[in-house]
Amino acid sequence: MYSTSDIRNGLKVEIDGQPYMVTYFQFVKPGKGCAFTRTKLKNMLSGNMLDRTYKTGESLEPADITDATFQYLYEDGEYFHFMNTETFDQLPMEPKAVGDAKNFLVEQMEVNVMFFRGNPVSIDLPNFVELQINYTEPGVKGNTAQGATKPATLTTGHTVNVPLFVENEEWLKIDTRTGEYVERARR
Amino acid sequence: MHPAGLRARAAVLHALRSWFAAHGYLEVPTDTLVPSPAMEEHLYALAVADGFLRTSPEFALKRVLAAGLPRIYEIGPCMRDREAGPWHRREFTMCEWYRAGAELGDLMDEVEALVAAAATALGDSPPRWRRTTVRAAFQQATGVDPARAAAEDLSGHDEPWDDAFLRRWVTDVEPTLTGAVFVSDWPASQAALSRVHSDGAWPTAQRFEGYLNGVELCNAFLELTDPAEQRRRFLVANVARAAAGEAPHPVDEALIEAVGRMPRSAGIALGVDRLVAVLHGEENIDAVRC
Repeated sequence: MYSTSDIRNGLKVEIDGQPYMVTYFQFVKPGKGCAFTRTKLKNMLSGNMLDRTYKTGESLEPADITDATFQYLYEDGEYFHFMNTETFDQLPMEPKAVGDAKNFLVEQMEVNVMFFRGNPVSIDLPNFVELQINYTEPGVKGNTAQGATKPATLTTGHTVNVPLFVENEEWLKIDTRTGEYVERARR
Repeated sequence: MHPAGLRARAAVLHALRSWFAAHGYLEVPTDTLVPSPAMEEHLYALAVADGFLRTSPEFALKRVLAAGLPRIYEIGPCMRDREAGPWHRREFTMCEWYRAGAELGDLMDEVEALVAAAATALGDSPPRWRRTTVRAAFQQATGVDPARAAAEDLSGHDEPWDDAFLRRWVTDVEPTLTGAVFVSDWPASQAALSRVHSDGAWPTAQRFEGYLNGVELCNAFLELTDPAEQRRRFLVANVARAAAGEAPHPVDEALIEAVGRMPRSAGIALGVDRLVAVLHGEENIDAVRC
């Protein structure tokens, strides 16, 4: 168990069966009362924020959170398969746990997998990945209108908006946090 | 250490002392090493030699007030153990003053004038204060009437009512106290050394706190002048302290005797480090201390 004096940014605690990370904390002591620590916590599964105030001396349950580096192998229609880069153990992950990361996974990519109580629950991707276009409407020659875009479907199935000059089968740099096109990648 | 913060601190200290001198207040330095450090259950004093470092100059100043000086103040160091954070520090600077015959509204006026003097000394415009009650602020922020709510309904925790009230207060009410605001009429159980007003459904302490930009700046009492009630509160606090596994604080007999001779009066303690830090736009009090 943690005590209120252990509270710091990044501390991982379990509340109502969910893992949370402390993102803000402040010692407060009202004029004529006991001391508290005011916290803001981020749900590590949903991303939702929670405000909690702990009385000095109260205990907090540590969240059983671990992580490890895995290489993405393949998808078999039911599971996404990864391999631990240290132990070479294979790990099948349900699409639900992979979440939106599936839009950016390419074979042999290294990712960080987070486990809650021993179960894989989420994937931490690099901020930027390079993905290839599967299909986009051919560009219209001479069209240089500022800011005009068209949809492009990537090999992962994810669709991004790209400038009109981008061609089929080109490689793109994608920001995994926003899912958006950044620039063309040189290959 | 920030030179700009220290210059602001010196300017504010000068402004405070000038204001007190101009309004007939006498500066009275009292001992920092005292026989009894505090009454309140949630204050932790540092024991030194055969006494304690004071957590506030309250007891000593009340003896001066009882001795016949009607307007007194002290600015000096106080020490509270187990307090550390951006707005808390084990050693801090307190400005405390007492005025015979004053009511709480008079002290609100004086805080407004003092803060205006301090702001002016820093080249800022004085804040505009509003005045509300604990009950109104609580209801506005939470929709819950603290006068009618049980502990469970206040915080969702199984805990003493005062803890539940304060947990909800610091979580949901304090963040709504923006700007400059006085909050009066606290629950009677949080009266400390103030008089209790027991008319109506909800007995309240005749006490207010001032908040400046969300930081608790000062705490004022219409002072208790009943020595028997003062002794009873000392004993109640010591019972609570013992129940929490803490050593009791010596009952200050000289204070209890002085309380019986004190004129009707109001007194207030204001955190000087906090005042300077907030006016100077700092995020913590260390920025304005050496």
